[in-house]
Amino acid sequence: MATLVSTIPKVRDALQATFRSGLTRPITWRQHQLYQLARMAQNERELICDALKKDLGKPKTEVLMAEVGSVIERAVKSAEHLPEWAKTEYPKVADWQKSWKPTLYKAPRGTVLIISPWNYPMILTFQPLIGAIAAGCTAVLKPSELVPTFSQLLEEIVPKYLDPNMCRVVNGAVPETSKLLELQWDHIFYTGNGRVARIIATAAAKHLTPLTLELGGKSPVIIDSAYDIDLAAKRILWGKCNNAGQICVAPDYVLVQRDKQDELVKALQKHYNAFFPEGALDSPSFGSIVSDLHHKRLTSLLSRTKGKVVLQGRADAARRRLEPTIVMDVADGDSLLEEELFGPILPIVPVDSFKQAIDFVNARPHPLVLYAFSDNESVKQQLVSETQSGGIVFNDTFQQLAVNELPFAGVGESGYGNQVMKHTYDTFTQLRSSIDMPKEAEPYLAIRYPPHSEEAVKALTAAVYTRIPPSRL
Amino acid sequence: MSSMKYTPKQHITEIHSRLSKTFREGRTLPLEYRRKQLLQVARLVQENVDAVMASLKADLGRHPFEATLPELGPMVSSALHAVQNLDEWNSPEKPQVEAWRSGWDTTIFKAPKGTVVNISPWNFPWVLTILPLIGAIAAGCTCLIKPSEHAQASAALMAKLIPQYLDPDAYAVCLGAVEETTHVLSLKWDHIFYTGSVSVGRIVAEAAAKQLTPVTLELGGQSPVFVDGDSTNIEIAAKRILWGKQQNAGQVCVAPNHVFVQEQHQSALVEGGPLDSSSEMARVVNARHYERNKSLLFRTKGKVVLGGQAGQDLRIEPAIVTGVTLDDPLMEEEIFGPILPIIPVANVDAAISHIQSGQKTNVWITFHVSMHVDQLCSKVVQRTQSGQLIINETFGQVAVYEMPFGGQGQSGYGSYLGKYSFDTFTHQRGYINVPADARTEGFMQGRYPPYSAPALEFFSQALKTKIPDA
Repeated sequence: MATLVSTIPKVRDALQATFRSGLTRPITWRQHQLYQLARMAQNERELICDALKKDLGKPKTEVLMAEVGSVIERAVKSAEHLPEWAKTEYPKVADWQKSWKPTLYKAPRGTVLIISPWNYPMILTFQPLIGAIAAGCTAVLKPSELVPTFSQLLEEIVPKYLDPNMCRVVNGAVPETSKLLELQWDHIFYTGNGRVARIIATAAAKHLTPLTLELGGKSPVIIDSAYDIDLAAKRILWGKCNNAGQICVAPDYVLVQRDKQDELVKALQKHYNAFFPEGALDSPSFGSIVSDLHHKRLTSLLSRTKGKVVLQGRADAARRRLEPTIVMDVADGDSLLEEELFGPILPIVPVDSFKQAIDFVNARPHPLVLYAFSDNESVKQQLVSETQSGGIVFNDTFQQLAVNELPFAGVGESGYGNQVMKHTYDTFTQLRSSIDMPKEAEPYLAIRYPPHSEEAVKALTAAVYTRIPPSRL
Repeated sequence: MSSMKYTPKQHITEIHSRLSKTFREGRTLPLEYRRKQLLQVARLVQENVDAVMASLKADLGRHPFEATLPELGPMVSSALHAVQNLDEWNSPEKPQVEAWRSGWDTTIFKAPKGTVVNISPWNFPWVLTILPLIGAIAAGCTCLIKPSEHAQASAALMAKLIPQYLDPDAYAVCLGAVEETTHVLSLKWDHIFYTGSVSVGRIVAEAAAKQLTPVTLELGGQSPVFVDGDSTNIEIAAKRILWGKQQNAGQVCVAPNHVFVQEQHQSALVEGGPLDSSSEMARVVNARHYERNKSLLFRTKGKVVLGGQAGQDLRIEPAIVTGVTLDDPLMEEEIFGPILPIIPVANVDAAISHIQSGQKTNVWITFHVSMHVDQLCSKVVQRTQSGQLIINETFGQVAVYEMPFGGQGQSGYGSYLGKYSFDTFTHQRGYINVPADARTEGFMQGRYPPYSAPALEFFSQALKTKIPDA
């Protein structure tokens, strides 16, 4: 199943040759590939759902809603917008520069590498690819070995729909990925964790390759006591249960006023029962943990917590099932606050003031998203000004991913660069500036040539003495 | 030249802590604060013109003209340009969204990345330090400046003036060489802006990789020029190319490195260039580079047809070398000096394939093309890659703020000038605010488990999108 390591450089070279040949330049060509990608997702959706059910126990609804549907929609919309995005721009400049015809070409970066993770493998592989195709690049897809059925499926269906001169799938694990990282790419798009991101960034540094890193972290939820706790509980629990909590933007832990903790716990229990009347263990509406390693990791974290388990999730290691587990009275230093949970465990950290909640968040690495439930405008304003995060979402969880117009990105430890629709297109596009100096400009340019006269210096020194408006510090 | 006092490493760490603390406290967030600091940058230049010019003369032998046109003037205009656009650049964007989510107040905030560092080079020491700083200030970041130790007079003057004009808790200068720069790179920054060589660029990127720090690399390369003798005014082409080459004695990242021209037009191009012996050209920055340039002239297998005299005080006459081939010593790396190799080719296709095949020249900041015919232009646009593409000119493009200045491939990544400087130091923070009303909640009911068939049907709408037949 793994791609032969020795063939990997040849794959890259072939894609580079395609790029240089100009095959991917015409807009109609790119649009056709995008429509083909949409067709692939639409026609092969049963196979895709089956593969993800096998690898991750993912409910069909979740796959169709969060993964397949968005790939189709965004591929088609990107094709529709492409002529607009790819249009050469003519920036407005000062009069004296107008005759130079300042121009911004949208140039494809070239041959790119997209490395995707196991948790939302369909959308996180193809969303970046949509931008790469739209931009006119050629690409290698390296899906995760932790979803072997899915990755193998890609090897079969991708060449049926997309031109193999433009896009190839490379499968494997560490040796194959290392080989890919030895080669030069014009951009590397990586979605995953901070540890591997450092390895990729270090490899990219040798070739001066630009990167997009879509990482994770612990996305906190702050609950304003004045907000409807019942509704907050429902929306938070929903975010946590999607893909059994294995998502970069899962609400990781909750900060709530101490005197509201019991109310929150009751509400969470109520909604849990509504979501899973017979419990989540055997529910087709709840996913599995991706691997034995991760299952063990999660149960081990739970065993070490000093908090109070109020909703005890049942575990079945053989089937890698772990029911949502809610833990209250979690304090700083607890096992559940050590690393990104990436699982169906919800720690509740009681605080005694809003300021304490902000300080708690700011003492930690910048998260991918900050969630807050509040209707108070000054509370919201304070959170926008006093915290840093990739995104900031009020009064819901997870739903921001549906917004095509928002750049999806991290900051600090949660990564850099962004994606979704035009932002992905921009990621794989280089703005190539250009001017075309007319012959007729020569008389005006005369003063710049040596030997430099007094007059020339005087004329140009005028710019230095532009009037500066008054101000005081 | 007196040796510069380097900033002790412990002190560098203290500066970093101070700048980080200032940022966290929110001091640089109010636009009024940033506006005042930007005006101070403009004043710093305007009130110290003579001193800045003297420092450039000491470091690089610069004529006042070459200090003003590329450095002094742009520093003042960029600062004022940032002041004028500060409100617009910082205002949150409200993108248009589909009707069903129009109640979510979708917003993109412009959030400062945090505490950043600008490591600048010796060749245009003032403008390449100050222009990124302007972007950082406008974005609301705090910033450390690390100017090059090879332009000592400029660095020393910066270290003196910046604390006098700007808030020392938010913007600081540290001086040093390899050891101090390595120490700077070991600290955690929210963005590293580096202008300089490819080899150090790799070191910067590797250090940044350990901390997952985003980087802008403004590097070098060998900017090729193609002169289409068939369709252009050779005299004007020669004049403009030579002008670009002799700026700062060719020590500019966007200097025309070498020229491809059709075989039959080679001599016309050479004759066209006016070389005035009384011109006050800048000197080569130091002895090491002076020897390097002299050695290139000695080793070249081409014919030195004009200039090339190595003089006193690290000056070398601009030299034109004809009949150069791609394997000549002059083509090994970026010349960064006053030598102009001319490579005769059959036609533009030959030039393009030379450029495409050369690993080093493949991607670079400017590809100057002296031609008028549109077809030829589009061939160049489509089949070559470079940071910028300049037609019928050299060097003039850096005056256009509305275009991003940045590299591609080996010439780096990221860009700046005008709004692009602001964007470099800004994180676009997405925001939504989902209403709590019953109508919204009712609309979203189907997303909660247990997943039902009707819910599946509803959310499968996107699956049924009609794909155009194309």
